[in-house]
Amino acid sequence: MLHQSVRPTEKDIEKVVDEYGNMLFKICLVILGNAYDAEDAVQETVIKYLTKSPTFHDSEHEKAWLITVATNCCKNMRKFNFKRSHIDISDLQLYSKDKESYGLLEILMKLPDKYKSVLLLYYVEGYKVDEVAAMLKISVSAVKKRLQRGRELIRERYGKENV
Amino acid sequence: MMDFDKIRRAVNSIEMSTTMKNRIIENSIKARKEKAVHLSLKRKISVACVFTILLSIIVGIPIVNKNGGLHAANFVITAYAAGGDGISHNLSSEKAIFELSSEDRIGTIGSVSGDGSNLIFTNVMLNITGENIESITYNINKGKFVEDVTFTEKENNREWLLLEKIYIIYSEPGSEIFKGIKEIGDTYTVMYKDQGKYEYAIAIPHDGNYIIADDIIISVNVKYSDGNIEKQDIAVSQESDSISLKLK
Repeated sequence: MLHQSVRPTEKDIEKVVDEYGNMLFKICLVILGNAYDAEDAVQETVIKYLTKSPTFHDSEHEKAWLITVATNCCKNMRKFNFKRSHIDISDLQLYSKDKESYGLLEILMKLPDKYKSVLLLYYVEGYKVDEVAAMLKISVSAVKKRLQRGRELIRERYGKENV
Repeated sequence: MMDFDKIRRAVNSIEMSTTMKNRIIENSIKARKEKAVHLSLKRKISVACVFTILLSIIVGIPIVNKNGGLHAANFVITAYAAGGDGISHNLSSEKAIFELSSEDRIGTIGSVSGDGSNLIFTNVMLNITGENIESITYNINKGKFVEDVTFTEKENNREWLLLEKIYIIYSEPGSEIFKGIKEIGDTYTVMYKDQGKYEYAIAIPHDGNYIIADDIIISVNVKYSDGNIEKQDIAVSQESDSISLKLK
């Protein structure tokens, strides 16, 4: 049981960044398309974590809270277009050593946001459809539709690239 | 047949650099320390009403009327924090300290003014009481008046938000209600009898390190039903972990 009713210490900050920083960065990088914005979103998420000091039932609850906050940050950044909105594929070379993944990541990053979030939570973080629905505050059928459409788009584009 | 497990492998190949990780830790620690030392960014003054402040500033200094004569103003400026439970601090030209403790506003993105300046969003609002007052005009030389608004997912679209000048939004995970900060501008006029309908708080600029700008003045112009106008300036300044208001 994790209880965070007290103000987090420096060790808590290091712990949360160590434990969840990379996961949040991956999600934010794919959604936002560049590392600068992704870093800002992660930073914003960690600061919210510190300032809100929420109480969590367990580590899964904590993880889900952080993911939800991070995806909301990304969504807001995109919505207001205050941040760079272009996809900077060169970032991939800096943050992924797996050259074979560049093509798929590029396709994923170019998808509309609504598909990216669902695909990331379902395929990468392993959440179930109903859990994704709860985290993104959308219906289960919307998650299913987005997964289906997202898969179709990836299949379509990845297929073409790999012919 | 596409293997969608490739998505997991591809995304998991992404790694945040150690430099970036350290920078995030460092910035978070710094932000936490700054919050303890300085007036923190985006702080609200509600904190479950524990530190709710009601400040009455009794205007008693000479003021020029429309005929150029001097007389003591006979209206009271009340500064209070939203959600208050009636704790009050009266003051004339002495500083009225607003202890800032409380809940931080979260999820801010960019400036409410849209001009890139950093703002601290207080919950401090102003109210006037007096006889035969028709309207009140407030003017702030640096900063903005803002209003807390709530709206639903349905309204949460870029066009509507921009039209309404709601530039900062946030929501709690699991909630369908969005909270936002709407820009009112650096001036507004309110009819005396309608004051209760307008809950406009003060947002004051800071330098990026939570040090607020110097010489912030809120001008209050009270127009009486006989046409006389009285003006009173309020100086806003920074204390160690709070802000103060005093008559100027």
